[in-house]
Amino acid sequence: MSSINEFYSKEKKESYYETLVKELSSLNKELNAFSTINESINSGYPFSAKDNICVKGFESTASSRILAGYKPAFSATSINKLLSKDFGFLGKTVMDEFGFGSFGVNCETPARNPFNPEYVAGGSSSGAAVAASIMKYHLAIAESTGGSISTPAAFCGVVGFTPTYGTVSRYGLIDYANSLDKIGIISRYAEDIREAFSVIRGEDPLDSTSVGKVPEEKRKDKIIILKEAMEHAEEKVRSSFAGLIGKLENMGYRVEEKSFEPISKAVSIYYIISMAEASTNLAKYTGFKYGYQGEDFTKGYNAFFTEARNKFGEETKRRIILGTFVRGTSVKSKYYGKALRARALIIDGMNKLLGDGYILTPTMPITTPKFTEVKELTPLQSYASDILTIPPNLCGFPHISFPYDYVGGMPLGAQLVSSHFNDNAVIGFAEQWEKQFEYKFRYNLGSL
Amino acid sequence: MKIGLEIHVSLPTKSKLFCSCSNSATEPNSAICEVCMGLPGSKPVLNKGALTVAKRVAEALNMKINERTSFVRKVYFYPDLPKSYQITQLDEPIGTNGHLDIDGKQIHLRRIQLEEDPAKLVRGDDYTLIDFNRSGKPLVEIITEPDIASEDELRSFIAELRSILYYCDIEINEEMKTDLNISGIDSENGERVEVKNITGIAGLTGALRYEITRQSELARKGAKVERETRSYNEAEMRTVSMRKKESDEEYGLIYDADLTEYDLSKVKIEKPIIASRVAHEYASKYGFDPKILLELIMLSKESLLLIDASKGKYPAQAITAGIEYLKKYDKINISKDSFNSLLNLVEKKGMVNKETLEKIEKGEKVESYSGISDEELERTIESMINEKSILLNEYEKNKKVFNFIVGKVAKEKNLDPRYVSEKLNKVLSEKFGLV
Ligand SMILES: [Zn+2]
Repeated sequence: MSSINEFYSKEKKESYYETLVKELSSLNKELNAFSTINESINSGYPFSAKDNICVKGFESTASSRILAGYKPAFSATSINKLLSKDFGFLGKTVMDEFGFGSFGVNCETPARNPFNPEYVAGGSSSGAAVAASIMKYHLAIAESTGGSISTPAAFCGVVGFTPTYGTVSRYGLIDYANSLDKIGIISRYAEDIREAFSVIRGEDPLDSTSVGKVPEEKRKDKIIILKEAMEHAEEKVRSSFAGLIGKLENMGYRVEEKSFEPISKAVSIYYIISMAEASTNLAKYTGFKYGYQGEDFTKGYNAFFTEARNKFGEETKRRIILGTFVRGTSVKSKYYGKALRARALIIDGMNKLLGDGYILTPTMPITTPKFTEVKELTPLQSYASDILTIPPNLCGFPHISFPYDYVGGMPLGAQLVSSHFNDNAVIGFAEQWEKQFEYKFRYNLGSL
Repeated sequence: MKIGLEIHVSLPTKSKLFCSCSNSATEPNSAICEVCMGLPGSKPVLNKGALTVAKRVAEALNMKINERTSFVRKVYFYPDLPKSYQITQLDEPIGTNGHLDIDGKQIHLRRIQLEEDPAKLVRGDDYTLIDFNRSGKPLVEIITEPDIASEDELRSFIAELRSILYYCDIEINEEMKTDLNISGIDSENGERVEVKNITGIAGLTGALRYEITRQSELARKGAKVERETRSYNEAEMRTVSMRKKESDEEYGLIYDADLTEYDLSKVKIEKPIIASRVAHEYASKYGFDPKILLELIMLSKESLLLIDASKGKYPAQAITAGIEYLKKYDKINISKDSFNSLLNLVEKKGMVNKETLEKIEKGEKVESYSGISDEELERTIESMINEKSILLNEYEKNKKVFNFIVGKVAKEKNLDPRYVSEKLNKVLSEKFGLV
């Protein structure tokens, strides 16, 4: 029985939600998973929304100071769908500002890893992964552009599902990169994700890129390991992953190693496209009508918005500057144009590769780092750590990250990828995995 | 001289280009939503009605219509632009490579694209108000090659464009916004000058005239015309420099991935009506004067329907006269049947006035003189002049006498005064030797 059905079937005290809110608020002081906790929740299966997903009347800032105080007058379609069923809104979760980060540190109060608060939670859906990890019954609605669901799910020991691009409406999502952004789900178990996905998916007249195609479940018995992916993984990850391969072979999967050289270019392609799109999406923040409000109206418009745009964090400024550069007239064909063409080639190549199997990689090439370690990384080193999560995101393929091992008390995650619209097959794979592997959690808030 | 135009015209759709807000609200900031205000989290959804209108215009302008069309973001920072980018088109516009024919010359059209209008800024003394009703309204931009060579050609081009757009349900008088490019006013000496944001047709010719004078003056003094962007001050009827132009503006256009590619080949349109072509065709087939006919069909779309229903059944002159009566008495919405009764009356040279038109409209029978021959009418006039021979002397001094005779005969015999005056002239010259 899924946690969702278990929750509905169990008797709950009248004070259930009150207690949950109290315990959560207290733990949140240590872990910073939530930016807002909805104290008036009083029914439904508790879910949270990443702070870049609009919930009517609740501050939605994408963890950016420039959006401080922005309370949207409308909710994201995915949120409305959950609210129309028996789900209750518990709060907004912390993230890297606008989704810009792999470790959850690019914001004012970064979420901390529930297994050990000295470690990062992963990003950018940091708070969402922590939320799923610390509560017995919880759905964290998250979003991934280049790995923002898989990465924190892996670091926090939960299941993170990123659907085929377009299957979940983006309406109400504060954009990072429109051709890459996907709303997905982080939860403790894949079978809860299956249920939640069936609620939030579907064509939406308010999102032109949404598609109504019913997800497929074409199960495969072949698993493809990418040679280049393994070369990038550190030794600890590689040896642990070898153990996973052994288990999967015992479960009856055929494992094949294949080479896909273009994958080494995926990081560059991804960052060029995502930064170019992000720099246009972030142009609207001028301190004018919502969020941070400029006060000195005697200035010229340029001086006025320049003052407001100082509120952006360092990584955000970096991406706006790089993104503006790569789409500039004199270099556009060299960077942005070439990246678009290369993206098409990668999609084509990966599609062929996926023909009759799944692709399986470690979710991250590294084990969970400490905050102090992340501080030492240059931006390029940070970007490079996305090498395994970027390819499926760049292609819009459905993928799922699931915990498969614990090393030094910290969880490790692996990521399974399939072809477009075969979403229920990757969910089904993780369901099969979790039937014979016991996930570990440090907290169990709201248990019954 | 080489003149090129970038013309922006508003499309008459019900709702805005990317949201369902009304396209015709007047109370400021009454037709706004999260999409046209560019609020975080909102997404644009293309109004397919705008595709239909734009495709029809492209067809009417002899464009090669793209099978697929897509949108880009043009980024610049200005208070009237809520997203700090305008959604417009680049590589896959609605159409390319069109042309318009004016007085036997082809003006080539580079492209036609669909885009959203920014909000409207209302400047006060020490403040500016913003009306977001205009934000997101659908526009088409029509870009010509620099093929226009004179003010006369500019006028003919705009007249032709206006007539074509009119039959696509688009009116361009005051609202039209144009950027004007001019170069080579004085031979090849001098760079291209761009005059931005000219409003209306009168403004366009005003700006051109000012630039011709200004640049000729510079040339006369031996000064060089510099490459620059200017704006037109309508009140003062002159252009002023905005900025010297070293290079093109940097907008960093990229594909708008909130929207998809749209299949234009599946968009069904009604065949466009090219007013000038209709005028020429009817002129050669049915004997109309093409100039007059074009004027008549630009009066209102109803006039073309009436002409269409009666052409070939009545002589061109009668139809022309009939439409002119309708225009004079503001009855252009008359039914086809009533129009036929009117033409019947006109043909019999009957008197047409407000009274008779109202009767015709109600379907009542109109008493009209019929059966009088030309000779008989001439005799009547002649005897009338003889009767009042004094008046004849007066005639040379006073035109009123002429009108008196015409009015009296027209009324007595229920005849069209124009017909009577024609006959009176004939009698005066033939029988009395007066010219
Ligand atoms: Zn609107």
